[in-house]
Amino acid sequence: MSEFSRRLPVYLLLDISGSMAGDPIEAVRNGVRALISELRGDPQALETAYLSVITFNSGARQVVPLTELMMFREPQLNAGGATALGSALRLLTECIKAEVRKSTPTQKGDWKPLVFILTDGAPTDEWRQAAEELKQTHPANIIACAAGAYADTKVLREITECVLMMNNLSAGDLSQFFAWVSSSVKMSSKSLDAKPGANIELPPPPQGFVIVP
Amino acid sequence: MSRIAEATLANGRKIPYVITDNPPRGGMKYTYFAPDKSYVVQFYNEPDKVDKNMTARLEAIIGRYNPTIPESEGGAVGTDKKLAEYFAGRFCWPTDLVIAPEFGIVSPAYPKNFFFEASASKFLDLKGKDKKSNWFTSGNRKFLDHSELGDFRSMLQMSLLLSRSIRRLHQAGLAHSDLSNNNVLIDPKSGNCVVIDIDSLVVPGLFPPEVAGTRGYIAPEVLATMELDRNDPRRMIPSSVTDLHALAVLIYEYLFCRHPLMGPKIFSAESAEQDDFLGLGPMALFIEDPNDTSNRPASLKATIKDLGPILEGLFIRAFVDGLHEPSLRPSAMEWERGLVKTWDLLHRCSNPECEKKWFVLYDVEHPVCPFCGTRITDSNIVRFELNSEVRGHPGEWKKYSELDVVNNTPLFKWHMQSNIFADEKADTELQAYVCCHNGEWFLINKHSTGLLSPNGNPVPAGQAIRLYDGTIFRASRSERGMLIKVRII
Repeated sequence: MSEFSRRLPVYLLLDISGSMAGDPIEAVRNGVRALISELRGDPQALETAYLSVITFNSGARQVVPLTELMMFREPQLNAGGATALGSALRLLTECIKAEVRKSTPTQKGDWKPLVFILTDGAPTDEWRQAAEELKQTHPANIIACAAGAYADTKVLREITECVLMMNNLSAGDLSQFFAWVSSSVKMSSKSLDAKPGANIELPPPPQGFVIVP
Repeated sequence: MSRIAEATLANGRKIPYVITDNPPRGGMKYTYFAPDKSYVVQFYNEPDKVDKNMTARLEAIIGRYNPTIPESEGGAVGTDKKLAEYFAGRFCWPTDLVIAPEFGIVSPAYPKNFFFEASASKFLDLKGKDKKSNWFTSGNRKFLDHSELGDFRSMLQMSLLLSRSIRRLHQAGLAHSDLSNNNVLIDPKSGNCVVIDIDSLVVPGLFPPEVAGTRGYIAPEVLATMELDRNDPRRMIPSSVTDLHALAVLIYEYLFCRHPLMGPKIFSAESAEQDDFLGLGPMALFIEDPNDTSNRPASLKATIKDLGPILEGLFIRAFVDGLHEPSLRPSAMEWERGLVKTWDLLHRCSNPECEKKWFVLYDVEHPVCPFCGTRITDSNIVRFELNSEVRGHPGEWKKYSELDVVNNTPLFKWHMQSNIFADEKADTELQAYVCCHNGEWFLINKHSTGLLSPNGNPVPAGQAIRLYDGTIFRASRSERGMLIKVRII
């Protein structure tokens, strides 16, 4: 593939609130590291996937702008604060607007962004309007993962149809989640099941994860 | 964390495998390795989709359609030990069905040279990753060490080997159905390739597998009708003619390191998905289409013209005539034969820095490497024109192919007799070779029993024919022996 190939923008929205402190945040760091290494080892993902990381606690921050995998620098992740999911969604809308190329009569646009939200708590700010605005203005394939017993799956279910739940916030489960994100990105970068209008196909969730109906 | 588990095969045998966290997972299956990595055990992502149609298909693939084991051991009809060995190197063919702990298959591990060594890249940690072809045919090339990239000759060789493998499948009525950059591993360094994921083969008379296919390799008609119901007669499903689209795409990618359909043309401004669907499906347009240049990139260095008329013609049939008309696509055997003939025209580029090192020298009046633009500096260009006698018209000869000749060029039986093909069954013993000594050219007989001199006398092994511009001789006394005309330019 060549200069005419399009990019697959991937946004990771990571909860770094106080409850993630300790082992969970360490597992997230390792997960991001493993994700990058795994995707760099897949020629299709390496060519097409671009990755951005947005973190949220009491506010939201894009800690890595949309970047090709080879140029990706691991962000510093430190846990502390609240769970401003609404701010994260608003920031995501802005980032997509600024970073994702639109299809026009003269430009090959990027693929529909793939968004992974990982959160372990209930939002502490206004999120509903932010979610609505994102859906209205910038359609994306959003996959949310509720980590541990305190995550609010109902909220996530209102943001996207695709919600996964892992039962505890263990390092093993978090690492499986990132491995699954990597298979999902690899699969989306090569599969053509993403027919216009259809839902993307994702690999089956790892063992111990349930899809929230 | 890993532990050893045991799989029970359909024949009752038990074999060990290593269970790991997060095993490699594809669209259909996930994979565990043997303790010694000599085979893999694969289970299906959706075990509830395994039904009797699927098991019947897999049994046929492993048994009576299997070209990698001799007929005497339950393999495909007509397969002897030598042929089985040949195809065992070309396919990663499943060997057994697993019935417990759940349904799965066992396949041999890929040969070592299809895994990267640590030295393959300075920028990436590729050690142990498999050599999917788009490491080599895309922008990813820049991350690989130069020694991994092969050259034009090795890419042509892989194209030939792949065509032969697909021809072998089609000859048995099988279709791969998901031929793609992911399912053909290539090793440009050695010029080898291996076809993997054989379990999705379409087997004659049996219920076909449900295959999604891979973006960029799905035939346009399959993509265009994907939305239709599975029982709708207009819906096109993967078959040998859709394999022929994927085969042509792969060969084009190997030879040019670019995709034949992905050009600058915008098919829809609505969305990337819609643009892609049209551009690879109903509106697909070859980037080198001679009649419609709207998808042609501004800078195209080498083009299909530079491959000589045989391959140019095949690509036109695959991507212009046959792009939306599946029946017009060249068969795998036509690709195989065309690539064999083109192989004989390979000439080394005179520029030691040339990245491709070899090119097809089809136009002796214009001997310029299309990849680097260097005009060759050889003192002579020597050609053998191979002619075969027209059947039923004794004494009437027709040009069959040409051979670009340099010092040490070997001649094999398929150069001497027009009824012998350079396929997997061919005798690869050297028959004769060309020698250039002090600017004089000779053909030296090594093993041929039927070589005749220009005036019709037998040339026994060990003796030579002196070659001049215009020399004509019979390469073989046999009925289908070639008449060779020499040109020295």
